[in-house]
Amino acid sequence: MGARDLHGPGAPWGDRPPGDRENRDFRVIGKPLPKVDGLAKATGAAVYADDIALPGMLHAKTLRSPHAHARIRSIDASRALALPGVHAVITGKDMPIPYGVIPWTPDEHALALDKVRFVGDEVAAVAAVDEDTANAAVKLIAVEYEPLKAFYDPFEALAAVEPRIHEDSKGPGNISKHVALSFGDIEGELARADVVVEDDYFFHGTTHTPIEPHCAVAQFSADGLLTVWSATQITHYVQRALARVLELPIARIRVVQPALGGAFGGKSDPFSLEFCVAKLAMITGRPVKMLWTREEVFYAHRGRHPMHMRYKTGAKKDGRITGVDAKILIDGGAYSSFGLVTAYYAGQLLTGPYHFPSYRFDSTRVFTNKPPCGPKRGHGSVQPRFAFEVQLDQVAEKLGLDPIEIRRKNFQGENTHTVNGQRITSNGFLACLDEVERASGWRERRGRLPRGRGLGVAGSMYISGTNYPVYPNPLPQAGIQLALERSGRVTVFTGGNDIGQGSNSVVAYLVAEELGLDVLDVRVVAADTDLCPVDLGAYSSRVTFMVGNATIDACRKLRAQIVQAVAEAWKVEVSRVRLASGRAIDLADASRSIPIAEAFQIAEERFDTLGSTGSYNTPTLGGDYRGGTIGAAPAYSFTAHVAEVSVDLETGRITCEKVWIAHDCGRALNPMLVAGQMEGSAYMGIAEALLEDHDVNRFGLHAGPSLLDYRIPTAVDTPELYALIVESLDPEGPYGAKEAGEGPLHPSIPAISNAVFDAVGIRLKHLPFTPGKVLKALREKEARSPVLSRGGRR
Amino acid sequence: MRSLSLKVNGDDVEVAAPDHWTLLEVLRYRLGLIGSKQGCDKGDCGACTVLVDGKPWLSCITVAATVEGREITTIEGLMPLHIQAGGVGPDPIQAAFDKCGALQCGFCQPGMMLSARALLDTNPCPTRAEIREALSGNLCRCTGYTQIFEAVELAIAESLGIAPAPRSWEAQRMKPEEAQARAREAAARLRAERQKRGA
Amino acid sequence: MLRLPQFELARPRTVSEAVTLLSEAGPSAMVVAGGTDLLPNMKHELFTPDVLVSLAGIEELRGVREIENGWLAIGAMTSLSAVAEHPLLRRRAPALAQAASIVAGPQLRSMGTIGGNVMLDTRCQWYNQTYFWRQALGYCLKKDGALCHVVAGGKKCVAAASNDTAPALMTLSATLEIEGPEGRRSVPIDDFWVADGIFNKRLEPAEILVEVRLGPTPPGHRGAYGKLRDRGSIDFPLLGVAARLDLDDSGAVADADVVLTALAARPVRVQKTRSLLIGSRPDQTSFDDAIAVVAAAAFVQCHPLANIPGDADYRREMVPVFVGRTLRAAADGSGPVHPI
Repeated sequence: MGARDLHGPGAPWGDRPPGDRENRDFRVIGKPLPKVDGLAKATGAAVYADDIALPGMLHAKTLRSPHAHARIRSIDASRALALPGVHAVITGKDMPIPYGVIPWTPDEHALALDKVRFVGDEVAAVAAVDEDTANAAVKLIAVEYEPLKAFYDPFEALAAVEPRIHEDSKGPGNISKHVALSFGDIEGELARADVVVEDDYFFHGTTHTPIEPHCAVAQFSADGLLTVWSATQITHYVQRALARVLELPIARIRVVQPALGGAFGGKSDPFSLEFCVAKLAMITGRPVKMLWTREEVFYAHRGRHPMHMRYKTGAKKDGRITGVDAKILIDGGAYSSFGLVTAYYAGQLLTGPYHFPSYRFDSTRVFTNKPPCGPKRGHGSVQPRFAFEVQLDQVAEKLGLDPIEIRRKNFQGENTHTVNGQRITSNGFLACLDEVERASGWRERRGRLPRGRGLGVAGSMYISGTNYPVYPNPLPQAGIQLALERSGRVTVFTGGNDIGQGSNSVVAYLVAEELGLDVLDVRVVAADTDLCPVDLGAYSSRVTFMVGNATIDACRKLRAQIVQAVAEAWKVEVSRVRLASGRAIDLADASRSIPIAEAFQIAEERFDTLGSTGSYNTPTLGGDYRGGTIGAAPAYSFTAHVAEVSVDLETGRITCEKVWIAHDCGRALNPMLVAGQMEGSAYMGIAEALLEDHDVNRFGLHAGPSLLDYRIPTAVDTPELYALIVESLDPEGPYGAKEAGEGPLHPSIPAISNAVFDAVGIRLKHLPFTPGKVLKALREKEARSPVLSRGGRR
Repeated sequence: MRSLSLKVNGDDVEVAAPDHWTLLEVLRYRLGLIGSKQGCDKGDCGACTVLVDGKPWLSCITVAATVEGREITTIEGLMPLHIQAGGVGPDPIQAAFDKCGALQCGFCQPGMMLSARALLDTNPCPTRAEIREALSGNLCRCTGYTQIFEAVELAIAESLGIAPAPRSWEAQRMKPEEAQARAREAAARLRAERQKRGA
Repeated sequence: MLRLPQFELARPRTVSEAVTLLSEAGPSAMVVAGGTDLLPNMKHELFTPDVLVSLAGIEELRGVREIENGWLAIGAMTSLSAVAEHPLLRRRAPALAQAASIVAGPQLRSMGTIGGNVMLDTRCQWYNQTYFWRQALGYCLKKDGALCHVVAGGKKCVAAASNDTAPALMTLSATLEIEGPEGRRSVPIDDFWVADGIFNKRLEPAEILVEVRLGPTPPGHRGAYGKLRDRGSIDFPLLGVAARLDLDDSGAVADADVVLTALAARPVRVQKTRSLLIGSRPDQTSFDDAIAVVAAAAFVQCHPLANIPGDADYRREMVPVFVGRTLRAAADGSGPVHPI
């Protein structure tokens, strides 16, 4: 029996204590506690990657390609090497082994080997005594290029046979991945529909923009141990990639994630700088740091894929969907990254919270000569969700149905399967709709606000972890190790990456709850491959669910020992001993209780030094077809938003005034942290709808690689956000918890489009919703019906 | 290389740095005050904000030598200065940010908290609109700002000894009348306080 | 992080010392005031001076004072936030105070100065980029290159004047006090600009802007500033509009002026504003018609190019909207006009 099926239905986390739903027995879970690292961050004490300084450390810089697509003819670094203070220069030839976060598509090199594929692609790296010298040396490296035709338009890249951006890719041509899947009788169901809406939608490129730029520091010890500190959200995959590219035994590589200044998916690939600092440290025998500039972070990208989407939805007169048919062209940028998964997610994740009797999608990801796209918060599914939720509003409009009603009508239910074979367990989507309807005053206000102001709704579903590890293996997806100390302190070792979402705090809360400790008596050691059991990383909204369950598993093993030892010492039944509030308590005799430290000592005496391990692996999930496991999650989160917008009819400017966010997170292990994820997600989505645009100009250069030109919202641009937490108590989640970090982004974008329709009667189907586009649409509408009528209002 | 005499967090410090080093580089890489962060390189994001003579200042576009003789406060200085002033533990703004979940990744927050400190030093009970405006030069990518506003409002409420308005997620868990009553009460008390101070 | 290129810093204590330093160092020296424009530009290697003359230590350059004949003198090193908050300026020069209040974000207004804003370098999407980026582009007409990427075949740089305070100062008929090796001179701000994006100012080598002077405004003076930008903070203008209305004792317009910025290499005055508005009364509906005519005239007059980021056609469409709104704000004593 492999780890995947070890726990089965009798998993320890399935054994929920009495009083669960009411929260009454919980001392820690469900409480708005501060984070374990909150004050360290508040006082400036937290150490991030660029805060690390090692004795004798060199500083490294990268030479990047000025061409969007070119062959490298030659590189001459002699002048750079001759510059005083320069210790080493490396190029692609020093690390010729390709890698990729998805093992099937290893199409990246630490430094370009023979070709560059976008403006900003890495070509060479220099280590020098300081940044100024390294920068000067970079300018002295002479590279001869043979420019090739570059593609900036995915349709053109798709149509062209030559030149191929990746000559070794499976193709054909510049196709990165093509997925076509069909479920049910799509043609028949569409034919049986009373109404069919077919339309085109476009989602533009956007990027994560964590405020911390990428940074890595490497040290190579005299005895051959490599340590890399990196601003990454995937320590384990970085460790594997380093071993592959540097041809070092993986056990000799230690990867540590220091405090991380935001990621959102933007730090979930192995990046050039991690390989470069490692290689340069190995060559020079000195520690090496590389800190990317903000411009370089824009080149690293891995952000939201632009998608050109055609959707066709059929529905009966009562609003019930009969089928959905989608054709999607995905602009992948220069490399694969997670693109194989993106092409699947673009189709696979749309099949909830609504029941689709039939569904078909055809998604094609193509390479273009632009910064590579990858997984940004809501990977692969935010774009189709936008298209579909706007289309669903169009269907409601045609049928004269209330947009919330049509969503209720199509609710798929709990404990069911989607048309593409995904298992749905808990599902609080109806409660989400109820909450946003109530809180926004939808019934009284929608359609009755003055012209220029409107309300819009949208719903969504997202995975809470995925059962597909990026490299197939039967090992646990999350592991935990606990070490008890006789002082009453517990140290928990987790491979989980806290990227600001608070996963270290969640682990500490769970340990404190399970072992009856004060949270301050739990220390968390995280994301250090030398010290912690493997966790796959902070992506796919997997950490709370998987690491949380592994933590509970480890705690219950230990708790059983402690309780047994105390029960034996007290000569009572095991069931009478309870660990809570820092003490071991006799449930039948209130006068008998001892400090938890004493209980630990009794257990240590009885069982020897105390520690435990715990793990989690998803049950076997997914549809029985090629790709059926991609998008299969042990649980799904559900969200509904209502957005309130105002539209300035003269300037075309949309102001998002308020957003009500209702999110089913299973159980809010800490409602304050859940609300923070919900608000942050909604904010990020609103920004994608109204402000941000990640693109290249006609020369293939990034259109504005700075925080001045890539405009993320300031404190005055962000609407009032209302977090409405819905708790469906998932049967398999830790204490019933599911994800909260990505799902709540999805509906914000279509909800704004739908609200604009309510406000001024125009359908915005092409992102971003710039004032110029809005004005144009308003004029077109006026031209169609010169008498100003308020569309969407009857 | 120039020898600089800087006043940082109340201390006079001597430090050598080339003329073209920014204040941020001197703080981080010479003085080890790593709490000031670099996010955008050139004055667009506010992560490097410090206080210079009490005013929020972008240290990444300040030539270090131009602020010799001026009072520089970094995030590391807030708690010690609070303790020196007779307080206990972290500055109330730091404590409120912690209590309100305003610190997600925490990277932008040193600058954000210093902007908030500068605001409350000059305007002890600002409106939410004034808080938004005062923090509008500090970009945060995690929070959507809501919990930051709530933190500043908690710090204000605690300084006045009143109950703050319910936070976004708290209101849902209360009876609507109760949540509204608490929000009204907090607003009224703050209005009264502002009038008293002649704002 | 992006580094500043190497330079030597000079910290004069007086204006004359600064002028001497500049004269001695020659063209490789530059003046830095608040540094909020120059230092990012230096990080982009748009300027690589050997000597940087900081005006930060010159006390005589700070503050607002009343001088003879009802004139006000604003020291060039007075911060933008001080200008925005100054009670006298808010009353006598509301367009200026409003413009200063919405330059960039709060920190930049603490650091940035009125002199620095007047002296702001022109901006262009093909120019305000890193060295790497500009090198990949092949540079541009304004810096290191021969081609203009805004106007194909263009021989004249069209980078946009982007200083918010400049149009406000023009509506206020400000004069600039400039000191150089030849002594002091006084220039009406209208005459200070040239329509050249490479350097749009009439400033001689080693000259320093010392003061901005404002003449007395009549009791019925009204002013406002309007700014189009994507965000409610931090951003440069995509369009800036300063408006002046002087009302006589009867409440009728006795004088009027509208100046626009962020369109071309220099701020531009909307012609005929005075003749179109004179005699009209803000409390009468005919005022709206008069404003509409000025707005339409502004639209006809302005042809923004794709110099700064943002859709040039949209910026043009916004010219009449912002001219109208800013004039109305001036009339009602409200403003600044800017979307948040």
